[in-house]
Amino acid sequence: MLSRVRSVLIIDDEDDIREVAALSLEAVAGWTVFTASSGKEGILSASELQPDAIVMDVMMPGMDGPTTFKNMQQTPAIAHIPVILLTAKVQGVDQRRFADLGVAAVLFKPFDPLLLSHQIAAALGWPE
Amino acid sequence: MPTLPESAVAADASAKTRTLLADLWRRNRPVIEARLATLVLAAAADPLPSELQAEALDVAHKLSGSLGMFGFEAGTALARQIEELLEAADPDRARLAGLAKQLRAMLHPCS
Repeated sequence: MLSRVRSVLIIDDEDDIREVAALSLEAVAGWTVFTASSGKEGILSASELQPDAIVMDVMMPGMDGPTTFKNMQQTPAIAHIPVILLTAKVQGVDQRRFADLGVAAVLFKPFDPLLLSHQIAAALGWPE
Repeated sequence: MPTLPESAVAADASAKTRTLLADLWRRNRPVIEARLATLVLAAAADPLPSELQAEALDVAHKLSGSLGMFGFEAGTALARQIEELLEAADPDRARLAGLAKQLRAMLHPCS
């Protein structure tokens, strides 16, 4: 049985990260990808597009990832969408702090573009 | 019409992704160069202004999070060392210069 086409919103202020993640998820998994370059834009995009999942950077200028996530949780229209945080922080204390927020998963940068979709699918329990 | 086996489809997707990544790397070179230049500037500054240190720290963080995506895992490791160095109140400038030089050499193997 073929799994259905998923849609993912990527929120990251860095152009190269957004582009690599988008091409990875589109080319490897065949998913539909939307992008946003800030937390504020991401909340608006998520409300409008209703993606199946959100992959979001932790460190962003203005509203950072954890703050954006908390705002999303307080927005009924998008509170149900699973959020995965992306971080380049390797220290365990940071990882635990992010996981304790209640996000679906925490993934690490740099990610392998050929494996990213598998990591997301595994974290969210999506069949491949 | 016969369909490709799953392994062939996956191999095709991998090859396509690698080609697109190589294109993206080429397009992103100016950004990488600018980031390297900031690190070199910070290493040469004496004293190191706090604004430049903060900018260099941000740049090192971005490089540590991105170089590995393009296959430069060792570059990510070096950028991470630079990031840790720049988190100190008074970073070791000689060590910073050495790491920045190593990183530049890694990304410019022919220069």
